[in-house]
Amino acid sequence: MEHLLETIGRNMFAIFGVMALGAAAFMVASKSAVHSVLGFLFAMLCIAGCFLALEAEFLGMAQILVYAGGIVVLFLFVVMLVEMTKFKEKAVFQLQSRYAVAAVLIGAAAFAGVFRKVIFGATSPEALVLRPELAKGLDVARQNAQAVSRGLFADYLLPFEILSVILLVALVGAVVLAKTERV
Amino acid sequence: MTTIMTADMTQMHAAVTAASQPASYLWLIPFLPLFGFLLNGLTGRKLKSTKIVDAIALGSVGISFLLTLYYFVQLLGLPAEGRSLHQSLWIWFDIGGAQVLGGLTTAKFEWAYKFDALSAAMALLVTGASFLIHLFSTGYMAEERNDGRYYRFMAYLNLFVFSMLNLVLGANILMMFLGWEGVGLCSYLLIGFYFEKEFAAVAGKKAFVTNRIGDFGFMIGFFLIFQVFGSLDYDTLMGSVREVANMPHITLYGHTASPTWWFNLIGCCLFVGAMGKSAQIPLYVWLPDAMAGPTPVSALIHAATMVTSGLYMIARMNFIYVNAPMALAVVLAFGSLTAFVAATMGLAQYDIKKVLAYSTVSQLGFMFMGMGAGAFGAGMFHVFTHAFFKASLFLGSGAVIAACHHEQDMRNMGGLRKYMPITFASMGFATLAINGIAPFSGFFSKDEILWKVFEGWYQHGHYTGPTLNLVAWILGMLGAFCTAFYMTRLIAMTFFGEYRGAGHDPHGLTVPSEAHGHDDHGHQDDHGPADHDQAHAQTAHAPAAPDDHASHGHGPAEVSWRMWLPVAILAGLAVVGGFLNYPESLHRIFPIVPADLFGKWIEPLLYQVAPVHHGEHTPPLIEYGLMIFANIWAGAAIFLAWWIYKVDPTWSRAKAFVARFPNLFRWVNAKYYVDEFYEAALIAPIKRFSAQLWSFDTWVVDGMVNGAARVTLIWAALMNWVDEYLVDGAVDLVEYIVQETSTVFRSLQTGRVQHYAFVMFIGFLVFAFWKFLA
Amino acid sequence: MVSLNAVLLISFLLFSIGIIGVLIRRNALVILMCVELMLNAANLNFIAFARHSGSVSGQAFALLVMGFAAAEVAVGLALVVALYRKRDTVQVDDINLLKG
Repeated sequence: MEHLLETIGRNMFAIFGVMALGAAAFMVASKSAVHSVLGFLFAMLCIAGCFLALEAEFLGMAQILVYAGGIVVLFLFVVMLVEMTKFKEKAVFQLQSRYAVAAVLIGAAAFAGVFRKVIFGATSPEALVLRPELAKGLDVARQNAQAVSRGLFADYLLPFEILSVILLVALVGAVVLAKTERV
Repeated sequence: MTTIMTADMTQMHAAVTAASQPASYLWLIPFLPLFGFLLNGLTGRKLKSTKIVDAIALGSVGISFLLTLYYFVQLLGLPAEGRSLHQSLWIWFDIGGAQVLGGLTTAKFEWAYKFDALSAAMALLVTGASFLIHLFSTGYMAEERNDGRYYRFMAYLNLFVFSMLNLVLGANILMMFLGWEGVGLCSYLLIGFYFEKEFAAVAGKKAFVTNRIGDFGFMIGFFLIFQVFGSLDYDTLMGSVREVANMPHITLYGHTASPTWWFNLIGCCLFVGAMGKSAQIPLYVWLPDAMAGPTPVSALIHAATMVTSGLYMIARMNFIYVNAPMALAVVLAFGSLTAFVAATMGLAQYDIKKVLAYSTVSQLGFMFMGMGAGAFGAGMFHVFTHAFFKASLFLGSGAVIAACHHEQDMRNMGGLRKYMPITFASMGFATLAINGIAPFSGFFSKDEILWKVFEGWYQHGHYTGPTLNLVAWILGMLGAFCTAFYMTRLIAMTFFGEYRGAGHDPHGLTVPSEAHGHDDHGHQDDHGPADHDQAHAQTAHAPAAPDDHASHGHGPAEVSWRMWLPVAILAGLAVVGGFLNYPESLHRIFPIVPADLFGKWIEPLLYQVAPVHHGEHTPPLIEYGLMIFANIWAGAAIFLAWWIYKVDPTWSRAKAFVARFPNLFRWVNAKYYVDEFYEAALIAPIKRFSAQLWSFDTWVVDGMVNGAARVTLIWAALMNWVDEYLVDGAVDLVEYIVQETSTVFRSLQTGRVQHYAFVMFIGFLVFAFWKFLA
Repeated sequence: MVSLNAVLLISFLLFSIGIIGVLIRRNALVILMCVELMLNAANLNFIAFARHSGSVSGQAFALLVMGFAAAEVAVGLALVVALYRKRDTVQVDDINLLKG
């Protein structure tokens, strides 16, 4: 039993990754929009698991909060708002689907061929580091949230602030777009 | 040497400004009238009641006056040497670097105001007189209240006050120049106020063009000042003039000469400007014509304020003139000549405003005489006393004109003493003042000027001064005699005898009325039915007697308080104003008021070549002698005029004189044909030359142009053919090809987003393989 | 420990699924979800490389990308709602105004 748990723990990433792939495939393939959203939710949770397995604890939590807590709810709201039964879905997939899938698969294969050395080559992980002046008094490996925040607010403050403006613009834009037009 | 000098200048500038106190509301004095102008000018047409226009115009000038008074009182509390307030609003413009005598300078011209003894006195005069004249206008312009241009008049007046205050309060020559041009513009606008009358429009143009000639001189003058001093700021100029005057020589434009030579040139150039603005020979011709404007305008602009700006400028620039003896001599010569010639012109005029106009020119000549004799204080003092009595006379004449149904010819007046006692009393006192009878104000100021001129020749009993001073003095005395004569004549013809306006004319003195030609407010029927103009009836046409009414509409009557009050106030000032500059010599005998108040007031602003000694030297006996003589002299002139025009109501002596010397009278009456001379000698040749240029233009230039046009036409026809068949053909071909090809590519545009995304993805793949597989 | 290869493989497959979904689905909502999926695949890469180069910058960037994704979803969904109001549909191939 312990051996099994240990094996699971060691292969956490692989497990979450495969589950995410499955959920994503379900999402793309399912006919109902609600099912798609559920698949999407599950894929996001799995990806959060992958983040955790990669020792990005803060991002894993953020992933759950933002996607599972925010975006998925938003999608569900819109699915409810848009009465899917009102218009008859003629077909789930495009007419070009076959070509598209073929092209993507060919592309993916070729891509994997080209980058096989990177993808299948042997690399070893390294410990996270911060610039010494930022890392002062911090155990970078254990205190992931603090490490990310120090890096973010020291080196990427401007992108961060710009992001806040973009969010504001998106907010206003969304309000304007979705607003009922008054005649 | 050059850089050192500039450095010294800046230091000195700093030192001078340090002595000057900042004043934070100084800007309101000129800007309030500007706000009034903007408010009235932009909204006046829309306002329901002209009372609001009155409130804005009078209010802005009134508050401005009170503010001036406030700062004046503040100035009184300061020590004599530091009597200066200033406010710098912003840098007007910055010319970067300029090559001047003192090396390269970075001149910044500030929009700054300076309130010192001289500008304070002028500002008081301008705001005070303007307020009274605004008040007068509310009565005088009553008719315009109904035809929608009243607001325009008031707005122009306010704009004028703004410009004039800029002129006197500006802290540098550029600010003065701004005001200088501004008052010129306002003068043009106001003279041509009745622009639908051709003579008014022409008079406005004449004033403007004549002034431009003067302005040209003024501009050259201050350009030279900038070249020599590297600054236009009064304080800086005052601070560095001694240094410049002591330089061995000055080289400008490749010409090397002594500083005095350059100062003479600058002084003469500036004086040309003053000639234009202050109506001196030979540029005085616009002023009499300017009487085409409404009478309050004549009083405000052409008697009390604008025409004195030339004097103010010379007083301001005294540090130049003190170092420029030639320029001073020129000023003295032209001033005395003007004083005399204009006075003789006034002798034979019948139009009441024309008499006053020539009188103004003549009095301005007196002021310039004072300046030319180096007595800047005396000259400036005459500016003030003259403003009092001449504004009073002008406004009085306006009242008379209004009362006589816009009649301006004195032959058609007479006997008004009975109808308008207040106006008569005011104008009477003002006349005594201008005649130079002690102790009215004109006596003190004019006598001071004449004495200074005489003293220049007298030289403490040595009689060694320049002959010019003696000649100027004689011309001045003759001018004074003429002044007393024509002013008494004016009073006698207007106020004494019988009223000749209502068809009552026992001696055959009246002439066909020209009332409709001049300043007639544009209304066509003075003697029409009583009900035709209510506003008019309230002010001027109040019925005098029932029988008059029956036969001839209305007789003259006293005007409303809005009109007589300013006249009376100004006359009151004309009576007592002289004591502000009570001469030292009289003070010794009758010490009733402190001596030389005005002279001492502006003394700190005057440049002294050598330190002044207020030595206790006894005034020479001849000074007293001349004072007494001046009174007798004026009295004789008054008596003569009285004898000719009052004692004999038929004016037979005057007629006999005219009959005896017909040519002399004709010449004087026609103002020596100066206008005609200008017309023949200057204007006609210019016109002829222009006509020749025009014919050159028609035949040669136009011919060339037309020829070019023909060639162009032929060429264009050729080009048209090429265009139509070759160029258009090529274009059509391209269009055809594009159209055919595009039908093929059109089918790719399905309008579906995912097709585009798919194509994009393929493109991306192609790009990626090309990039990484190659 | 997790090897970089595994992460890259997973993210690569996720991305492929996402792009297939964008290209073949007709429902605008699902297309938006697929776009999100592609962004997440990219995030996974960021984190993996951060992990394997020892720099914290990758994580910071992943956070920023997450913010952008949120903004994109907000606007995208607003567009879907507006589209639905106007045309009574969320099927993207019903919209072909750009057809030449």
